[in-house]
Amino acid sequence: MKILRLGGSVVIALCLVTSVYAHHSAAGVDQSKTVSLEGVVKEFKWANPHSYLEIEVMNSKGVAEIWNLEMMPPTYLVRAGWKSNTVKVGDKVKFSARPMKNGDPGGLFVSITLADGRTLGQTAPRGGGAAPAPVYPQQ
Amino acid sequence: MTKLRMGRVGMAVLVALNVIIAASDLSAQFQPPGTLGVLAPANIAKPRPKAPFDITGTWLHIGGESERFDPPAGFKLTPAAQKHFDASAAAVKEGKLYRNDIGLCWPAGMPIMMTRVWPIQMIQLPTSIFMISELMNSLRIVYMDGRQHTDPDIVVPSFNGESIGHWEGDTLVIDTTGFRDDHHWIQDRAGIPASDALHIVERIKMQNQGKRLEIEFTLTDAKSWEGDWKLTKHWDRVDDRDIAEVECLPELNEHMPTVHSPDNIREN
Repeated sequence: MKILRLGGSVVIALCLVTSVYAHHSAAGVDQSKTVSLEGVVKEFKWANPHSYLEIEVMNSKGVAEIWNLEMMPPTYLVRAGWKSNTVKVGDKVKFSARPMKNGDPGGLFVSITLADGRTLGQTAPRGGGAAPAPVYPQQ
Repeated sequence: MTKLRMGRVGMAVLVALNVIIAASDLSAQFQPPGTLGVLAPANIAKPRPKAPFDITGTWLHIGGESERFDPPAGFKLTPAAQKHFDASAAAVKEGKLYRNDIGLCWPAGMPIMMTRVWPIQMIQLPTSIFMISELMNSLRIVYMDGRQHTDPDIVVPSFNGESIGHWEGDTLVIDTTGFRDDHHWIQDRAGIPASDALHIVERIKMQNQGKRLEIEFTLTDAKSWEGDWKLTKHWDRVDDRDIAEVECLPELNEHMPTVHSPDNIREN
């Protein structure tokens, strides 16, 4: 019975979580933090079900590390102003992300500021329209 | 004369038996050679009552209700399912995730494929309904041409199961069986597994002048839980949406930090 009661509360908690246009969970991400960094684009993949960005960042110890940023699919990025050639390898950019809990470089993409000063985010799931910031499930 | 008559009767019985045996072979997955498939023009052209509604369109599960298939209050799992449920609850307590199979490119399967955030396109014909979810382009075919479920001893288990549909008044009723029992979840985030005993009955109604679908799911799985679980969910018609090729590729997943997080507890 105890187990069942605990299970019920877990399920209720899960029900309260907001959905995201994704195919998997973001359990390893610290949703309470947003980090802002700058670096050089190493790779940008325009793909379903997720696009991604890899950005080389110099960490506080002066060592280069690659930040792996998980993004929404192109359907939503297009609505936020993205194209497949918006960023190119070698571009210097600033970006913000929800970081991994374990401190690994990487996380969920929030926004990017390009060399020309434009800042692009990604639109929220369902129905279109720009959203201030994506909401990812913590589950 | 008497012998001849008996012989004729015997022949007639044999013919009748053959017809019965042939009819029982008309299963969804294994049709006898020469049987018309659902896209055969001659099958589509057969006279049938007019369908009460046309489900053809692009549908998106509404945002206002959970995409998850949560168990009812007081639910009771079998020991086999409880093991997964407990492990999942323990993982969630630690901020981790138990068995992120969909993230690892396993198909969402039924019933999750119907609500997994991505749009689902449906094409209705007199013989069948094709459903294609944008997520992993998962395909579901609902047979509407009178065929029966495949013999459980020869059915090839699948994540979306084998669906047979019929009309009851203004309601489309779909009966689905023949499921895979591994890497297949009813509630993936709560660790509630589906087994090969899963049976799903959907009662589908069209609402709001064809702009909304309502599906009442009845989920039964004697190997995973006791009794029937009933859930009702809704979809909106999204005429300004199409679907694209969406493959879940290991190569792409390598770049997804959340998929490779140590907080994802994989199979032992």
